[in-house]
Amino acid sequence: MNAIERAGKELSRLPGIGPKTALRLVYHLLKADPARIAQLTGALTDLADRVRPCERCGNYSDSDLCDVCSNPRRDHTTVCVVEEAYEVGAIERTGQYPGVYHVLGGKLSPLDGVGPESLRIAGLRTRVAEEGVREVILATNASMEGEATAVYLESILRNVQSLRVTRLARGIPVGSDLEYVDGTTIAEALLGRREM
Amino acid sequence: MRGFRNLGVQELTFPREGVAILGGNAQGKSNLLEAIYYLETLRSFRGSGDAQLVAFGCTVFRIEGDLAGDADPVQVAAAFDRGSRRKRVYLDGDPQDTLAAGLGRVGAVIFSPDDIRMINGPPAERRRFLDVVLSLNVPGYVEMLQRYRRALAQRNAALKASEGPTALEGWSRMLASSGSVLVCARARWIAERAGSFSAHYEAVSGAEVAALSYRPSVDEDETLASTEARILSALVDAERRDRRLRTTTVGPHRDEMAVVLEGADREVREFGSGGQRRTAALALRLVEADTVRDVRDPDPLVLMDDVFAELDQARSDRLLARIEGGRIGQVILTAPKEADVRVRRDALPRWQIEGGRVAA
Repeated sequence: MNAIERAGKELSRLPGIGPKTALRLVYHLLKADPARIAQLTGALTDLADRVRPCERCGNYSDSDLCDVCSNPRRDHTTVCVVEEAYEVGAIERTGQYPGVYHVLGGKLSPLDGVGPESLRIAGLRTRVAEEGVREVILATNASMEGEATAVYLESILRNVQSLRVTRLARGIPVGSDLEYVDGTTIAEALLGRREM
Repeated sequence: MRGFRNLGVQELTFPREGVAILGGNAQGKSNLLEAIYYLETLRSFRGSGDAQLVAFGCTVFRIEGDLAGDADPVQVAAAFDRGSRRKRVYLDGDPQDTLAAGLGRVGAVIFSPDDIRMINGPPAERRRFLDVVLSLNVPGYVEMLQRYRRALAQRNAALKASEGPTALEGWSRMLASSGSVLVCARARWIAERAGSFSAHYEAVSGAEVAALSYRPSVDEDETLASTEARILSALVDAERRDRRLRTTTVGPHRDEMAVVLEGADREVREFGSGGQRRTAALALRLVEADTVRDVRDPDPLVLMDDVFAELDQARSDRLLARIEGGRIGQVILTAPKEADVRVRRDALPRWQIEGGRVAA
């Protein structure tokens, strides 16, 4: 296998990239300034060498503690639990959340061999026990597995003194027409309605 | 249609009242009805996998139906690719995100000699019948059925992995919330339709009476929420046994729908004669046709796959009277020979089918 094929094969392992796109990227890189390839490999090497899970929350970070966990202005008594690290970014972009995070690294799915011990759940219990946490927001996805994970977390945190456990609301997407929203979502939104 | 079983590439326009399709064995009569009914349920009524439906030498089949009823005309199409194992449904040419979006557009009911399996077979056959009828006629049912099946697979996997009680509870709650919708919908449909089932049965049998009864694994309760609580507590109670057997032993996946001969109080499945079983299967289909008419408001398209061959003369005559006495729409029936064409005997044009080709 020559260098071009090897590079193509490696790229095609990335999600969303098929063999054809991979080859196009390879030829694009070959035509570009060799310094660009060096920059790219440098950036990728840094990913492998320097980025690791934050010791506290599991989010990816360049240092022992991530930017959120090491920020004294964040509210460390509120912890938002998400499945994957990229979901932290989605919540951060709203600029509406002052608390900190906990990244589980997946969701419960016995069919895929993922039980509670495969997720970062022990770490969450420790944080709740030792860091004066007052609220845990369960922000796992609204999929079947995400819901079951939330139910599981709620039941292991249920008996912790003066801890509030909340779940992200579900309902009509902002800006959408009722007419085009599916029935299950409307039913959920009706159940979760609130006073105005 | 193209690439479906032995039917090749054909375009057929069915007369408004319907058609009788005559042909010998293995010429493709059932295949044609299977293709038409595929557009209603997006699967084979004969229980064949999609890959088996693709013609020999083809990789894809596609069926399109232009429905020109009294309601807004609509085109439903379904396609399956054996290579990628992908199935797609189209409405008026637009691919739909989910198969559920295309279910039940035709408003069809099929009568087939295989229907006897609904009576003779294990409870799973009757649950399948219930699930198909309710998926087509109750909004949201099919989504809950999918959720329930997924949660069941997860809970069973958790049991096999010997996960702790708290981990199991998450899946039990998912089962209870989706399962309660199934149980309440099944209970309601059977309660609403039990009367007309008995009436159809009596009319076709001529004398005997039979009743349809729901025997849920966990009984339904007054409300969805209280049914959910019941299922959850049944799952909790069954936990020790479930752990030992490594599978979920209670819940709507263990429901039964029984047909009981009145007076004798015996199940048709165990004690019924051949004629009684066939009558029970026909009565279920007639109830299904009633449901299509009441819920979706077209007169149902009735597909009959050589059903009279198996019935004695008296029962066939009474079935005919029952079918023709009700409001039905187009009738597409198949028969091996002219003498077996009995529905709308004078009105239906005759088509021939040979080697999968239909000739008007």
